[in-house]
Amino acid sequence: MLRRRQFLAASATTLPIFAAVSACRRPAVLDGPPPLSPDVRALFAAVAAEENLVSLYTRTMAAYSALGPTLAPLLAEHWAHLAQLRARIIEPPGKTVPDKVTSKPPIPDTTAAAVARLRTAEQAAVNAQLRRLAGASPSLAQLYASIAASEATHISALGPGAG
Amino acid sequence: MTKVSQAALQALQAALAAEHAAVYGYGVVGAMLSGADRAAARNDWRVHQDARDNLQAMITKFGATPVAASAAYRLPFAVQDARSARRLAATLEDGVTRAYLGIVAVPDPGLRTFGALAMQPPAKRAAAWRGTTVAFPGMPSR
Repeated sequence: MLRRRQFLAASATTLPIFAAVSACRRPAVLDGPPPLSPDVRALFAAVAAEENLVSLYTRTMAAYSALGPTLAPLLAEHWAHLAQLRARIIEPPGKTVPDKVTSKPPIPDTTAAAVARLRTAEQAAVNAQLRRLAGASPSLAQLYASIAASEATHISALGPGAG
Repeated sequence: MTKVSQAALQALQAALAAEHAAVYGYGVVGAMLSGADRAAARNDWRVHQDARDNLQAMITKFGATPVAASAAYRLPFAVQDARSARRLAATLEDGVTRAYLGIVAVPDPGLRTFGALAMQPPAKRAAAWRGTTVAFPGMPSR
Protein backbone atom coordinates (compact mmCIF):
# COMPACT_ATOMS: atom_id res chain seq x y z
CA MET A 1 0.00 0.00 0.00
CA LEU A 2 1.31 3.45 -0.81
CA ARG A 3 2.07 5.75 2.02
CA ARG A 4 0.79 9.31 1.81
CA ARG A 5 4.23 10.72 0.89
CA GLN A 6 4.70 8.07 -1.85
CA PHE A 7 1.23 8.79 -3.20
CA LEU A 8 1.94 12.52 -3.50
CA ALA A 9 5.26 11.80 -5.23
CA ALA A 10 3.52 9.44 -7.64
CA SER A 11 0.95 12.14 -8.40
CA ALA A 12 3.70 14.64 -9.14
CA THR A 13 5.23 12.32 -11.74
CA THR A 14 2.11 10.86 -13.29
CA LEU A 15 0.02 14.05 -13.60
CA PRO A 16 2.20 15.58 -16.36
CA ILE A 17 1.98 12.30 -18.28
CA PHE A 18 -1.79 12.31 -17.92
CA ALA A 19 -1.91 15.92 -19.05
CA ALA A 20 0.30 15.19 -22.04
CA VAL A 21 -1.90 12.25 -23.07
CA SER A 22 -4.99 14.45 -22.73
CA ALA A 23 -3.37 17.11 -24.87
CA CYS A 24 -2.99 14.58 -27.67
CA ARG A 25 -6.76 14.51 -28.13
CA ARG A 26 -7.76 16.49 -31.20
CA PRO A 27 -9.60 19.74 -30.61
CA ALA A 28 -13.23 19.91 -31.60
CA VAL A 29 -13.62 20.91 -35.23
CA LEU A 30 -15.26 24.29 -35.82
CA ASP A 31 -17.55 24.06 -38.82
CA GLY A 32 -17.61 27.82 -39.36
CA PRO A 33 -19.09 30.82 -37.65
CA PRO A 34 -22.07 30.15 -35.40
CA PRO A 35 -25.51 30.90 -36.85
CA LEU A 36 -26.74 34.47 -36.41
CA SER A 37 -29.10 34.99 -33.51
CA PRO A 38 -32.61 36.31 -34.30
CA ASP A 39 -31.81 39.80 -32.97
CA VAL A 40 -28.70 40.03 -35.16
CA ARG A 41 -30.71 38.85 -38.17
CA ALA A 42 -33.29 41.55 -37.38
CA LEU A 43 -30.52 44.15 -37.25
CA PHE A 44 -29.16 43.03 -40.63
CA ALA A 45 -32.69 43.23 -42.04
CA ALA A 46 -33.07 46.76 -40.67
CA VAL A 47 -29.79 47.78 -42.32
CA ALA A 48 -30.90 46.25 -45.63
CA ALA A 49 -34.26 48.03 -45.42
CA GLU A 50 -32.57 51.39 -44.87
CA GLU A 51 -30.22 50.74 -47.78
CA ASN A 52 -33.24 50.03 -49.98
CA LEU A 53 -34.86 53.31 -48.88
CA VAL A 54 -31.66 55.26 -49.56
CA SER A 55 -31.51 53.69 -53.01
CA LEU A 56 -35.17 54.49 -53.73
CA TYR A 57 -34.81 58.12 -52.64
CA THR A 58 -31.57 58.55 -54.59
CA ARG A 59 -33.05 57.14 -57.79
CA THR A 60 -36.27 59.14 -57.38
CA MET A 61 -34.29 62.37 -56.95
CA ALA A 62 -32.24 61.52 -60.03
CA ALA A 63 -35.43 60.99 -62.04
CA TYR A 64 -37.31 64.06 -60.71
CA SER A 65 -34.87 66.83 -59.82
CA ALA A 66 -37.75 69.15 -58.85
CA LEU A 67 -38.37 66.88 -55.84
CA GLY A 68 -34.84 67.51 -54.57
CA PRO A 69 -35.67 70.21 -51.99
CA THR A 70 -38.40 68.01 -50.47
CA LEU A 71 -36.56 64.70 -50.60
CA ALA A 72 -32.99 65.71 -49.74
CA PRO A 73 -33.63 66.29 -45.99
CA LEU A 74 -35.53 63.00 -45.75
CA LEU A 75 -32.74 61.16 -47.55
CA ALA A 76 -30.21 62.69 -45.15
CA GLU A 77 -32.22 61.27 -42.25
CA HIS A 78 -32.22 57.83 -43.85
CA TRP A 79 -28.44 58.04 -44.15
CA ALA A 80 -28.36 58.90 -40.42
CA HIS A 81 -30.60 55.89 -39.64
CA LEU A 82 -28.34 53.65 -41.67
CA ALA A 83 -25.23 54.91 -39.87
CA GLN A 84 -26.75 54.28 -36.45
CA LEU A 85 -27.97 50.81 -37.37
CA ARG A 86 -24.63 49.86 -38.90
CA ALA A 87 -22.86 51.12 -35.77
CA ARG A 88 -24.72 48.45 -33.77
CA ILE A 89 -23.19 45.65 -35.83
CA ILE A 90 -19.99 44.24 -34.38
CA GLU A 91 -17.91 43.35 -37.42
CA PRO A 92 -15.16 40.72 -37.33
CA PRO A 93 -11.65 42.21 -37.60
CA GLY A 94 -10.80 43.04 -41.19
CA LYS A 95 -14.35 42.56 -42.41
CA THR A 96 -17.08 45.10 -43.01
CA VAL A 97 -20.75 44.52 -43.62
CA PRO A 98 -21.16 45.11 -47.35
CA ASP A 99 -23.58 47.66 -48.75
CA LYS A 100 -26.30 45.63 -50.34
CA VAL A 101 -29.47 46.93 -51.96
CA THR A 102 -31.87 43.99 -52.01
CA SER A 103 -34.81 45.70 -53.68
CA LYS A 104 -34.70 48.01 -56.69
CA PRO A 105 -38.23 48.68 -57.88
CA PRO A 106 -38.62 50.84 -60.99
CA ILE A 107 -39.27 54.54 -60.46
CA PRO A 108 -42.86 55.39 -61.49
CA ASP A 109 -43.56 57.46 -64.61
CA THR A 110 -45.07 60.50 -62.91
CA THR A 111 -43.96 62.71 -60.03
CA ALA A 112 -47.13 62.04 -58.07
CA ALA A 113 -46.76 58.29 -58.49
CA ALA A 114 -43.09 58.47 -57.48
CA VAL A 115 -44.00 60.33 -54.28
CA ALA A 116 -46.77 57.84 -53.59
CA ARG A 117 -44.23 55.04 -54.04
CA LEU A 118 -41.99 56.68 -51.42
CA ARG A 119 -44.93 57.01 -49.02
CA THR A 120 -45.71 53.32 -49.41
CA ALA A 121 -42.08 52.40 -48.83
CA GLU A 122 -41.93 54.56 -45.70
CA GLN A 123 -45.09 52.96 -44.30
CA ALA A 124 -43.70 49.49 -44.98
CA ALA A 125 -40.51 50.51 -43.19
CA VAL A 126 -42.48 51.75 -40.16
CA ASN A 127 -44.37 48.46 -39.96
CA ALA A 128 -41.15 46.44 -40.25
CA GLN A 129 -39.48 48.42 -37.46
CA LEU A 130 -42.43 47.71 -35.16
CA ARG A 131 -42.15 43.98 -35.86
CA ARG A 132 -38.49 44.07 -34.76
CA LEU A 133 -39.26 45.45 -31.28
CA ALA A 134 -40.12 42.25 -29.41
CA GLY A 135 -36.79 40.45 -29.61
CA ALA A 136 -34.52 43.46 -29.41
CA SER A 137 -32.46 44.73 -26.50
CA PRO A 138 -33.98 47.81 -24.82
CA SER A 139 -31.60 50.25 -26.50
CA LEU A 140 -31.97 48.67 -29.92
CA ALA A 141 -35.76 48.59 -29.51
CA GLN A 142 -35.65 52.32 -28.79
CA LEU A 143 -33.56 52.89 -31.90
CA TYR A 144 -36.07 50.93 -34.03
CA ALA A 145 -38.97 52.86 -32.48
CA SER A 146 -37.27 56.22 -33.00
CA ILE A 147 -36.50 55.40 -36.63
CA ALA A 148 -40.10 54.24 -37.10
CA ALA A 149 -41.33 57.57 -35.71
CA SER A 150 -38.98 59.44 -38.05
CA GLU A 151 -40.26 57.45 -41.01
CA ALA A 152 -43.82 58.19 -39.91
CA THR A 153 -43.01 61.91 -40.08
CA HIS A 154 -41.67 61.34 -43.60
CA ILE A 155 -45.06 60.00 -44.66
CA SER A 156 -46.59 63.30 -43.52
CA ALA A 157 -43.85 65.30 -45.27
CA LEU A 158 -44.63 63.37 -48.46
CA GLY A 159 -48.32 64.24 -48.21
CA PRO A 160 -50.30 66.41 -50.61
CA GLY A 161 -48.13 69.21 -51.91
CA ALA A 162 -44.90 67.22 -51.80
CA GLY A 163 -45.15 66.23 -55.46
CA MET B 1 -55.65 43.15 -11.99
CA THR B 2 -52.94 43.01 -14.65
CA LYS B 3 -49.36 42.96 -13.33
CA VAL B 4 -46.53 44.98 -14.81
CA SER B 5 -43.00 45.64 -13.61
CA GLN B 6 -42.05 48.65 -11.53
CA ALA B 7 -39.96 49.92 -14.43
CA ALA B 8 -42.95 49.73 -16.75
CA LEU B 9 -45.10 51.63 -14.27
CA GLN B 10 -42.45 54.33 -13.90
CA ALA B 11 -42.26 54.70 -17.69
CA LEU B 12 -46.05 54.97 -17.93
CA GLN B 13 -46.11 57.54 -15.11
CA ALA B 14 -43.41 59.56 -16.91
CA ALA B 15 -45.51 59.53 -20.07
CA LEU B 16 -48.54 60.65 -18.07
CA ALA B 17 -46.52 63.49 -16.52
CA ALA B 18 -45.47 64.57 -20.02
CA GLU B 19 -49.10 64.53 -21.16
CA HIS B 20 -50.11 66.64 -18.15
CA ALA B 21 -47.41 69.14 -19.09
CA ALA B 22 -48.58 69.17 -22.71
CA VAL B 23 -52.19 69.80 -21.70
CA TYR B 24 -51.05 72.76 -19.60
CA GLY B 25 -48.61 74.02 -22.21
CA TYR B 26 -51.09 74.00 -25.06
CA GLY B 27 -53.21 76.40 -23.06
CA VAL B 28 -50.33 78.85 -23.29
CA VAL B 29 -49.70 78.01 -26.95
CA GLY B 30 -53.31 78.54 -27.97
CA ALA B 31 -53.50 81.90 -26.25
CA MET B 32 -50.70 83.24 -28.47
CA LEU B 33 -51.99 81.92 -31.79
CA SER B 34 -54.81 82.81 -34.15
CA GLY B 35 -56.56 81.36 -37.17
CA ALA B 36 -55.53 77.92 -38.40
CA ASP B 37 -52.65 77.70 -35.95
CA ARG B 38 -55.00 78.29 -33.04
CA ALA B 39 -57.39 75.66 -34.35
CA ALA B 40 -54.49 73.22 -34.67
CA ALA B 41 -53.37 74.00 -31.12
CA ARG B 42 -56.90 73.43 -29.83
CA ASN B 43 -57.06 70.10 -31.64
CA ASP B 44 -53.67 69.03 -30.28
CA TRP B 45 -54.74 70.09 -26.77
CA ARG B 46 -57.74 67.75 -27.02
CA VAL B 47 -55.56 64.92 -28.35
CA HIS B 48 -53.29 65.25 -25.32
CA GLN B 49 -56.29 65.24 -22.97
CA ASP B 50 -57.41 61.94 -24.52
CA ALA B 51 -53.90 60.50 -24.27
CA ARG B 52 -53.70 61.60 -20.62
CA ASP B 53 -57.04 59.91 -19.85
CA ASN B 54 -55.90 56.75 -21.59
CA LEU B 55 -52.66 56.60 -19.59
CA GLN B 56 -54.52 57.25 -16.33
CA ALA B 57 -56.82 54.33 -17.11
CA MET B 58 -53.87 52.05 -17.94
CA ILE B 59 -52.00 52.93 -14.75
CA THR B 60 -55.11 52.43 -12.65
CA LYS B 61 -55.70 49.07 -14.32
CA PHE B 62 -52.16 48.10 -13.33
CA GLY B 63 -53.01 48.83 -9.68
CA ALA B 64 -51.14 52.11 -9.23
CA THR B 65 -52.23 55.67 -8.61
CA PRO B 66 -51.71 57.91 -11.65
CA VAL B 67 -49.47 60.91 -11.03
CA ALA B 68 -51.41 64.13 -10.72
CA ALA B 69 -50.82 67.24 -12.78
CA SER B 70 -48.88 70.04 -11.19
CA ALA B 71 -50.79 73.21 -10.37
CA ALA B 72 -48.48 75.13 -12.70
CA TYR B 73 -45.47 74.48 -14.90
CA ARG B 74 -42.37 76.54 -15.54
CA LEU B 75 -42.14 77.25 -19.26
CA PRO B 76 -38.78 76.38 -20.83
CA PHE B 77 -38.57 79.87 -22.38
CA ALA B 78 -40.62 83.04 -22.58
CA VAL B 79 -43.66 82.72 -24.82
CA GLN B 80 -44.59 86.17 -26.04
CA ASP B 81 -45.67 85.77 -29.65
CA ALA B 82 -46.85 83.27 -32.26
CA ARG B 83 -43.31 82.20 -33.16
CA SER B 84 -42.36 81.29 -29.60
CA ALA B 85 -45.77 79.65 -29.14
CA ARG B 86 -45.13 77.36 -32.11
CA ARG B 87 -41.68 76.61 -30.68
CA LEU B 88 -43.27 75.73 -27.33
CA ALA B 89 -45.73 73.40 -29.07
CA ALA B 90 -42.83 71.60 -30.75
CA THR B 91 -40.99 71.40 -27.41
CA LEU B 92 -44.06 69.94 -25.69
CA GLU B 93 -44.43 67.33 -28.42
CA ASP B 94 -40.73 66.47 -28.17
CA GLY B 95 -41.18 65.90 -24.44
CA VAL B 96 -44.14 63.59 -24.98
CA THR B 97 -42.31 61.72 -27.74
CA ARG B 98 -39.32 61.20 -25.45
CA ALA B 99 -41.55 59.92 -22.64
CA TYR B 100 -43.26 57.35 -24.86
CA LEU B 101 -39.86 56.21 -26.11
CA GLY B 102 -39.07 55.41 -22.46
CA ILE B 103 -41.88 52.86 -22.49
CA VAL B 104 -40.24 51.10 -25.46
CA ALA B 105 -37.31 50.13 -23.19
CA VAL B 106 -39.45 47.90 -20.94
CA PRO B 107 -39.37 44.15 -21.67
CA ASP B 108 -43.15 43.68 -22.06
CA PRO B 109 -43.75 43.33 -25.84
CA GLY B 110 -47.25 44.80 -25.67
CA LEU B 111 -46.08 47.91 -23.83
CA ARG B 112 -43.13 48.25 -26.20
CA THR B 113 -45.46 48.34 -29.17
CA PHE B 114 -47.79 50.72 -27.34
CA GLY B 115 -44.89 53.12 -26.66
CA ALA B 116 -43.59 52.90 -30.23
CA LEU B 117 -47.02 53.59 -31.71
CA ALA B 118 -47.85 56.31 -29.19
CA MET B 119 -44.68 58.28 -29.99
CA GLN B 120 -45.51 58.62 -33.68
CA PRO B 121 -48.34 61.19 -33.48
CA PRO B 122 -46.38 63.59 -31.20
CA ALA B 123 -43.32 63.18 -33.45
CA LYS B 124 -45.49 64.17 -36.42
CA ARG B 125 -46.98 67.13 -34.57
CA ALA B 126 -43.51 68.29 -33.46
CA ALA B 127 -42.39 68.18 -37.10
CA ALA B 128 -45.48 70.12 -38.16
CA TRP B 129 -44.96 72.85 -35.55
CA ARG B 130 -41.21 73.02 -36.18
CA GLY B 131 -41.52 72.85 -39.96
CA THR B 132 -38.82 70.18 -40.25
CA THR B 133 -38.43 66.50 -39.48
CA VAL B 134 -35.67 65.01 -37.32
CA ALA B 135 -33.78 61.75 -37.78
CA PHE B 136 -34.29 60.38 -34.27
CA PRO B 137 -37.50 61.57 -32.57
CA GLY B 138 -37.41 61.11 -28.81
CA MET B 139 -33.67 60.47 -28.66
CA PRO B 140 -31.20 62.89 -27.11
CA SER B 141 -29.77 65.27 -29.72
CA ARG B 142 -26.86 63.68 -31.57
